[in-house]
Amino acid sequence: MTALLIFFLLVVLMLTGMPISISLGLTVLTFLFTMTEVPLESVALKLFTGIEKFEIMAIPFFILAGNFLTHGGVAKRLIRFGTSFLGHLHGGLGLGGIIACALFAAVSGSSPATVVAIGSIVLPAMVQQGFPRQFGAGIITTSGALGILIPPSIVMVMYAVSTNASIGQLFVAGVVPGIVLATLLTLLAWIVARRRGYPRLPRASWLERWRAFRESIWGLLLIVIVIGGIYAGVFTPTEAAAVSAVWAFVVSVFIYKDLKLREVPRVLLASANTSAMLLYIITNAVLFSFLLTHENIPQGMAEWMTRQDLGPTAFLLVVNLLLLVAGSLMEPSSIMLIIAPIVFPMSQALRIDPVHMGVLMTVNMEVGMLTPPVGLNLYVASGITRMGLTELSRVVLPWVLVMLGFLALVTYWPPLSLWLPGMLFR
Amino acid sequence: MAAVKKQPLLLRGLDHLEELVILCLMGAATLVTFAAVAHRYACGIPSLQPYLLGVNLGWAQELCIYMFVWMAKFGAAYGVRTGVHVGVDLLVNRLPPRLRRTIVTLGLCGGALFTGVVGTLGAKFVWELSRTDSTSPDLEVPVWIVYLAVPLGSYLMCFRFLQVIASFWRTGELPHHDAARVEGLP
Repeated sequence: MTALLIFFLLVVLMLTGMPISISLGLTVLTFLFTMTEVPLESVALKLFTGIEKFEIMAIPFFILAGNFLTHGGVAKRLIRFGTSFLGHLHGGLGLGGIIACALFAAVSGSSPATVVAIGSIVLPAMVQQGFPRQFGAGIITTSGALGILIPPSIVMVMYAVSTNASIGQLFVAGVVPGIVLATLLTLLAWIVARRRGYPRLPRASWLERWRAFRESIWGLLLIVIVIGGIYAGVFTPTEAAAVSAVWAFVVSVFIYKDLKLREVPRVLLASANTSAMLLYIITNAVLFSFLLTHENIPQGMAEWMTRQDLGPTAFLLVVNLLLLVAGSLMEPSSIMLIIAPIVFPMSQALRIDPVHMGVLMTVNMEVGMLTPPVGLNLYVASGITRMGLTELSRVVLPWVLVMLGFLALVTYWPPLSLWLPGMLFR
Repeated sequence: MAAVKKQPLLLRGLDHLEELVILCLMGAATLVTFAAVAHRYACGIPSLQPYLLGVNLGWAQELCIYMFVWMAKFGAAYGVRTGVHVGVDLLVNRLPPRLRRTIVTLGLCGGALFTGVVGTLGAKFVWELSRTDSTSPDLEVPVWIVYLAVPLGSYLMCFRFLQVIASFWRTGELPHHDAARVEGLP
């Protein structure tokens, strides 16, 4: 009963169009002042302690690193690297773009940033080469979603924050599914391109490939810093994020010199703006899940779930549907923070691995970024291509179907995500 | 954002101060954390040890957290001004104009109310803390100074919401953060 009231209030407040963070906070306040006897002091304390965790600070650092990379000329070198290997195939520039997206995803933690960084260079070039606009827009918008699956990933940090799962294990668990998805997308794009006879680039010599690799090595070193650093125990995830922010700064300003020193304050300000927004949602989501826990709602729902005798298969289906609906209406971070604390106890009751759960929720968020009405990747891509949201959603649709197939694979074949962390963290 | 030029000097000063504060906190927190990591590994190099072992950077993690908490609180206020706080505005934008105006105003008032209440709760909390002598574990600064971020940030955010309400009624426009805008494109 209380649960219904809380969610009803939350949904009504959200429908007024007020920020999600404020809706969460107001729901909690309304409850505290009218219905429960939680002492206000403990709430005040939560307001301060909500984001006082060092793990959470990985988020602003990854955002900063991502912003430096987007403006610092890393993207164009990754594209050159990608096309030097696949450019001679049909649709070569597009295939190179997918590889560049996967590599950029491995150095940054956000999907829209990946679409901006790679798409703003590859898409105009593809149109110039004679590709139909729809093809390029479709594949780059979709491969941009790799940003949150291939580590580092801001959405995974959000999941870890709300469920106390290990960030390192989650990151490692994203590697294999990320590679599989990137391969799948490249393969399908190549088949389509070959059937339609899309343009090819001249084959690059091994010398050119080596040059392209040497050019992009500075950016690619970030993969070593993040994954290698966390895995080898050199850094905590947050420290790895801070080091990659500094490294991204050095690479953009001093090595590639694509970013002027006087532009750095603007990058800092933009990163602070985004980070503060996310941290503000976290603060209020922590408050909200504190209220839920105090009212015993997640536990109650977990018990209810066990009584329904729903097996893991049916449960995961329900979770996927719930997340897909939520994903098309809200942006990923809020969903993770609101839904993860609720479904997590249930998945625990069904003995679903927390890391597997995290990966499948992340893949769900990827799909959410591609589906209208609210899909961040669509917004960003429409800004680059000047295509309307409706048209763009239509050209992305076939790729969304591919993603749904991939989601089913991730959901019902846990070894795909659990094999690598199982090997490494034993 | 067209109204910016007409604003009095004091308000413009506040805007700039706000931007400067969050920008510096962002940069400083990164450098501090980086320095702590670098220091930890540099200590492993024998020739550097005599210089570095005397330096204790154990407080870096705490400082980083506090800087980000401050950045988050003031950045959230800045975010109201830039319209970066996302909401579900699909339904509202389909309503007839007059109804939409009312609902949007209600939503904004909700924001002002929430931040106002939180600011007040925070101020009370800080006031009580200031009469104790509790200090933070590593930096040993009085905690009430650290937690001052909450009332200050929340009141500033409340003020920003009121500003947005005023300009919404005047011009009918909301600050809009354009995620689709890509720099460097024609």
